[in-house]
Amino acid sequence: MSSAEQVARERERQALVGRRRLLPRVPARADRTLHRRRWPLSKTTVLHLGGRYNPKTLGRERLITEKAPLWWFTFLSLALVVPLLAGTDKMLTIASTFAIYASINLMWMLVMGTAGIFSLASLAITGIGAYATCWLTINADLPWPLMFPVGAVVGLFVGVIIAIPARRMDGMYYALLTLGIAEVCRAYALQAKWIGAQSQGSLSGGGGFIPEDIRFTQTGQRIGYAAAFVLLLAALAVYRAVNGQRLGLLLRASQKEDEAVSESMGIDFQRARLAVFLISSAGLGVIGAFYAGYFRAASLSLFGVDLLLLLFAMIVIGGLGRAEGAVIGTLLVTIVDRYFVDFGAKRFLFIGLLMLASVLFTRGGAFGLRDQWRELRARRRSQRRAARTSRHGAVSPEEAPEIADKAQIYQRRFDHNQRAHLKSLITDDLIAEHRRNPTGLHSEELERVMLYFRKAELAGKYCVYAVKPFAKYRIVALSGLPGVPPRVVDDRVYPTVDEAYHAVFLRRVNDLRSS
Amino acid sequence: MARIKLTGYSDQVSVCEGETVRFMVSAEGASNVDAQIVRIIHGDEHPDGPGFIEEVIPSDAAGSYAVRRQFVDSGSRADVDDPQGLLDIAGPITIHAFVYPTTPMKGRQAILSRWAIHETAGYGLGINTSGHLEFWVGDGDETDAIAAEVPLVHHTWYFVAATYEPGSGAATIFQQAVVNPYNGRLGKVAPFDHRSRVRQPLRVKPKGGDRPFRFAGALMHADVRGLFNELRFNGKIDRCGVHGRALGEAELEAMAAGDEPPADGVIARWDTAAGYEENGIGDVIRDVGPNGLHAHGTHRPVRAMTGWNWEGRHDDWRVAPEQYGGIHFHDDAVTDCGWEPTVSWTVPAGARSGCYALRVTAHEGEDHIPFFVRPAAPKGKILFLAATNSYLAYANEMIVHHAPVAQAIVGHVPILSAIEADYYQDPEFGRSTYDHHSDGEGVCFSSWLRPILNLRPKWRSSAITTTWQYPRDLSIVGFLEHNDYEYEVATDHDLHREGIDLLRDYNVVVTCSHPEYWSERALDALEDYVADGGRLMYMGGNGFYWVVSSTDGEPHVMEVRKGEAGTRAWQANPGELYHQTSAERGGIWRLRGRPPQKLTGVGFTTEGFDFCRPYRRMPDSFHKTAAWILDGIGDDEIIGDFGLALGGAAGLETERYDLNLGTPPHALLLATADGFSDNYPGVQEDILFNHHGLMGTQNPLVRADMVYFTTRNHGAVWSTGSIAWSSSLPSNGWDNNVSRITKNVLDAFGRAGSLPGSEFVEEEKSWR
Repeated sequence: MSSAEQVARERERQALVGRRRLLPRVPARADRTLHRRRWPLSKTTVLHLGGRYNPKTLGRERLITEKAPLWWFTFLSLALVVPLLAGTDKMLTIASTFAIYASINLMWMLVMGTAGIFSLASLAITGIGAYATCWLTINADLPWPLMFPVGAVVGLFVGVIIAIPARRMDGMYYALLTLGIAEVCRAYALQAKWIGAQSQGSLSGGGGFIPEDIRFTQTGQRIGYAAAFVLLLAALAVYRAVNGQRLGLLLRASQKEDEAVSESMGIDFQRARLAVFLISSAGLGVIGAFYAGYFRAASLSLFGVDLLLLLFAMIVIGGLGRAEGAVIGTLLVTIVDRYFVDFGAKRFLFIGLLMLASVLFTRGGAFGLRDQWRELRARRRSQRRAARTSRHGAVSPEEAPEIADKAQIYQRRFDHNQRAHLKSLITDDLIAEHRRNPTGLHSEELERVMLYFRKAELAGKYCVYAVKPFAKYRIVALSGLPGVPPRVVDDRVYPTVDEAYHAVFLRRVNDLRSS
Repeated sequence: MARIKLTGYSDQVSVCEGETVRFMVSAEGASNVDAQIVRIIHGDEHPDGPGFIEEVIPSDAAGSYAVRRQFVDSGSRADVDDPQGLLDIAGPITIHAFVYPTTPMKGRQAILSRWAIHETAGYGLGINTSGHLEFWVGDGDETDAIAAEVPLVHHTWYFVAATYEPGSGAATIFQQAVVNPYNGRLGKVAPFDHRSRVRQPLRVKPKGGDRPFRFAGALMHADVRGLFNELRFNGKIDRCGVHGRALGEAELEAMAAGDEPPADGVIARWDTAAGYEENGIGDVIRDVGPNGLHAHGTHRPVRAMTGWNWEGRHDDWRVAPEQYGGIHFHDDAVTDCGWEPTVSWTVPAGARSGCYALRVTAHEGEDHIPFFVRPAAPKGKILFLAATNSYLAYANEMIVHHAPVAQAIVGHVPILSAIEADYYQDPEFGRSTYDHHSDGEGVCFSSWLRPILNLRPKWRSSAITTTWQYPRDLSIVGFLEHNDYEYEVATDHDLHREGIDLLRDYNVVVTCSHPEYWSERALDALEDYVADGGRLMYMGGNGFYWVVSSTDGEPHVMEVRKGEAGTRAWQANPGELYHQTSAERGGIWRLRGRPPQKLTGVGFTTEGFDFCRPYRRMPDSFHKTAAWILDGIGDDEIIGDFGLALGGAAGLETERYDLNLGTPPHALLLATADGFSDNYPGVQEDILFNHHGLMGTQNPLVRADMVYFTTRNHGAVWSTGSIAWSSSLPSNGWDNNVSRITKNVLDAFGRAGSLPGSEFVEEEKSWR
């Protein structure tokens, strides 16, 4: 062998497959009892542990099958601890704002994502809640703990009103209507005398849960953030309770199917939608109350389109339909908006660019990126494999680990070799011999070819179908799957069995030649 | 117009004067059917024959009947007789069992449960959708469950248990494999660690109520069909039980090692190995605990199967019954549809014996539900013996759809019918002994009490492309009818029940074309009849081959265990060849020292389905003792180069003369057919060393022999050695040389007294 050949050989050599374990695994102790702990009153386990046998070693492994709770725990712990311990004033304010906005977004997502109602009035409901509770603390001496239930009632009341047209209107028209409602609220608050002669329609000097004397100290800020964090936790709990439980399941089922189909399955789609809308409205009312209690004020910006669009940007960037998306989107945009205040208007351009990128390049916002990345990898892999295996139909080393029964890998090689030989046997004479005598004594060559056909796997195997015995026959192909009937391969009808047999033979020869 | 589907079955295989036969009919697309009793005369619709012929028998059963769809509640299982509700969950509980799952990944399955799916109530130990052992409870609204950490591996024996304390809600799962070198698919070398112990609180309290405690399934309800069985389990269950307290880990470990469960707190202790008697074991699973909560099997769970502790030393449950506690359950088993009767008919006095059917029609829908009328007392001289055991063996056979090698076996492309393609979508009426259950195990029980699609006069086998069994045998019936022979009909089932007394008064017994499956009692009766002067016309191939049995009192369910040798669709697992209904060694009669040659002179030698061949006379046919059989046939005449089955009288499955296998030494070889293709291989049970050249074109054993010999008291046997003989009879308007030879024999055999040619007993004085 010349050295050039050797080099060529070397270059052609298959790359080895297999990968070292990089991340440590949870140790699996089969001899010890596994205590599966659950959250109180819930069927959810604290750690979603799954056992399996490693396909390479059959060794026991313990995997965390659902990592989302861990990520949540880490994220929320950091979100709580970092601002509280290391926080500057600015950081604490930003953190509080983030928590409030994220709570609003979670409620909004219930309306848009879960219930599928394109309402832009969510912020307005918060605003109304804030105004109402703030006004009551000023004018009716409402103690601050009562602000929250009052806010909930106000939110629910407004929700009922806004929900009425939702039964009739859909999509864009409803979105415009709710935008209109927000604008009406803004205009009203700006001009209504009873709100007071306060400047520019804002209320201030209301009651709050941070004592007045320490409000502007670090301690006050910390109390404020701790409260906002609790609000965020509550919003997450409501989101999960609605989206992850019965109501959410019902609605998601009906979004997958046609609405009419789910109605016919007994899912009261409209009722479930309304329920979700009202729950989130009450939640938004509570957030409004919190806002009023936190700032001891209610400002017109709560009805403004600019804040609405900022919140919308958060949802779009994070990804609609997932709690993670709403929270991460809110975090990103809040930081850009509040931390980089010095950049001025440029930061809005940046937010716009983020939104654009999210819409153009992602399918489910920032949080869908991981799935998107995995899909991309799978697609690239299958393309590469297709390019490589089209040569001999052989199994590549990358593919082999996915085939549990290695005999199938040999079967492919065997079939390849058989076909190569049998192709050389097929001549016009051979075909003519079969036409003359599909079931008689055959030449060795023909018998060998036919035997290969007869021994083929069941899936796609041809059979004759007697439409009318002794008069009309057609060709069908078996499914190879239990319970799946054969499929008719074409519309040709053969008057005799022999003609049908020969037609099957020709099809098989054709399949062999084109394989 | 909606397609109309009619089907049904009769509750009796055969009836005689004064007896009543009931028909269970199910209809889709029709609410009324017209019913008529008919006598079936010919079935095969091949254009070269007379076509389908039936004769309407005026009867009081004729008329219009209201019908509905009747459902099949399939899946073998066992329900516990528990009138006091002792197995309802009241306090702490432990459920334990040895199990051998065969399809753990096939969706949720209940191993032992007291669970109603439609009520979401009760409890169950089973397998969840990801293949893990799971214990679940339901309170009527919600369920909660605890699952093992690792999935179950199929074809592996486990000891599994779940404990539960309703007070605290604490539940545990205990799972441990019990692998020895013999009892499972994998040995100890495969490094699985199957152990799993999990503890977890359950948030839902199980709701009690009146529900059956069931092995291998759970209860479900649907408005259209009422209660039925779901969560059907595939696999074996060995010794199991329910304890009235939460057993500790040490106690469970001891039980996994084979110890008896602690006596303290036993509610039920099912000893699946108890109850083996000399003649086998029934459907009752015995509770040896204090309460006697026995379980009763439905659709015949398979017993006499190896258990978790099978040590591979004994292959027979009679030697070591304690190692045969395995009971195999199948999700597609059906041995009795249990339908409501639609039509009944009491056979009037003087009714002619024959092949009958209830014909039901509704618009274009039609079905013939076959049964047989036997004589109350023999009147004629000819008995046609319908091979009802063999009909059962092939009942609802679907080999074309399941076996990749089917086309190679038959040597051609199968021809499917619309009914078959349709049935394949939902094989609800159970399978044949040529099929496998959904978990890959061979089907060893076949029952009469279900619609049998291929036990119909016009049916054509898709795999073989000709008629097969019953419809083919109707060509022999048609021959008897056409020639006005006075014949009567009895079945394998009658012969098994009545023994030789059934045959004694007949001059000749005519068999079917493929009487392959024989119970010992029936075979003894026929052999005694022939030995004692009876005459046998065996116009078939591959007969007297497989051992079958049934439980007395339940003749409609036939058992067959295929194994070790013989042309077989499946192979019994090691140690599982002995019948549960008779304690016999299953398999082929040849391996029990009883090759068919000893009775008929010929035995199975080859099978093939691409084309059939004619016979040519052999020198023995010119001997005066037998020359009368070929009376009217030319010296070089080709016999049977025509027929409704692939163009010849010899083929499909054929037999040969073989002194080493017990052909009586005085048997004459009258004619032989050869020239078969390589799609006719020599049969597997003749092969010691496998080598090239065992196929039809190169193997002298591949042939069909026509044999004749006499027995004591003017008895005689004439065998054609070929299944296809029967379908050459109708050719050319029943006027052909196959028909002629058959008539020669039947005319002579039908007459009492000495046989023609029987005086030519001296040796030849050849001068030539």
